Amino acid sequence: MALSLRSLRPLVSDPLNLDASVEEVFHMMLGINCPRNAEPITVEGESVTAVVGFCGLLTGACIFRAGRSVAMDMAARMTGMEFDTVDDIVKDAIGEICNIMAGAWKGKVPDLAANCGLSVPAVITGRDYHLHVLSPEFRLVHTYRYEDSSFAVTIVCDGLQ
Amino acid sequence: MSEIRALIVDDSSVMRKIVERSLRQAGLDPLVVNEAGNGSEGLEVLKNKDVDLILSDINMPNMDGLEFLRQIRAQRLAPGVPVVMITTESSEEHVKQAIQAGARGYIRKPFTAEQVKERVLPLLHGV
Repeated sequence: MALSLRSLRPLVSDPLNLDASVEEVFHMMLGINCPRNAEPITVEGESVTAVVGFCGLLTGACIFRAGRSVAMDMAARMTGMEFDTVDDIVKDAIGEICNIMAGAWKGKVPDLAANCGLSVPAVITGRDYHLHVLSPEFRLVHTYRYEDSSFAVTIVCDGLQ
Repeated sequence: MSEIRALIVDDSSVMRKIVERSLRQAGLDPLVVNEAGNGSEGLEVLKNKDVDLILSDINMPNMDGLEFLRQIRAQRLAPGVPVVMITTESSEEHVKQAIQAGARGYIRKPFTAEQVKERVLPLLHGV
């Protein structure tokens, strides 16, 4: 019988998996704790968004979004360098954070980890843009505190077989 | 320990730096690092340089880490050199594929320097 993730939907869409993944990634890679924040992300000016696609039995994307100062600070923590602009290294760092987060999230459900691939990250910078996904199967939109600021992580599933 | 020559293959330059830093924190010093952005570039490095250790991502454009491993064997490059995969892919199936392709170790991202030390140092006895 072909494997299906449909019966695992409650587990796959469990919001606690995303919170645990974010905690794990930021604690291990950046050495900081980023608790869930009830407030929606507020970004003034330029923001940095990384997108990693899911393919296989689950299709969709993991989307990471932060303001430019948060993105530059994360890149600085990862590399030991200082940044005053969102250059290619900052974009690379944010793309990698999103990639690791996507991997950690799907790894919470073994059948999902084994049957869902990841795309290489795409990074978008700019102002006043929106990402739209039509009729998702489910969507998790979480905001996390990052020192005095915040970032957002979204899991969008538009197909679950 | 004598000088260690490592090849780090990852499409993210930031990750390559983090892996290098983790190796140094693990006590690999002196350390000479060669970098490659994908499997094809990694093969080119191996054709021109001797290394003692290879650390490779799996998901990369042009040539992924598993194909890189297969090509190392097919082209008889770096014989006996341990290869450790460092990747976001964590399923048993991915680990099995990597081991079958010739990997000697597997580290899941995110990782700590301590994990790198635990998985890499035992592979370097005699270097």
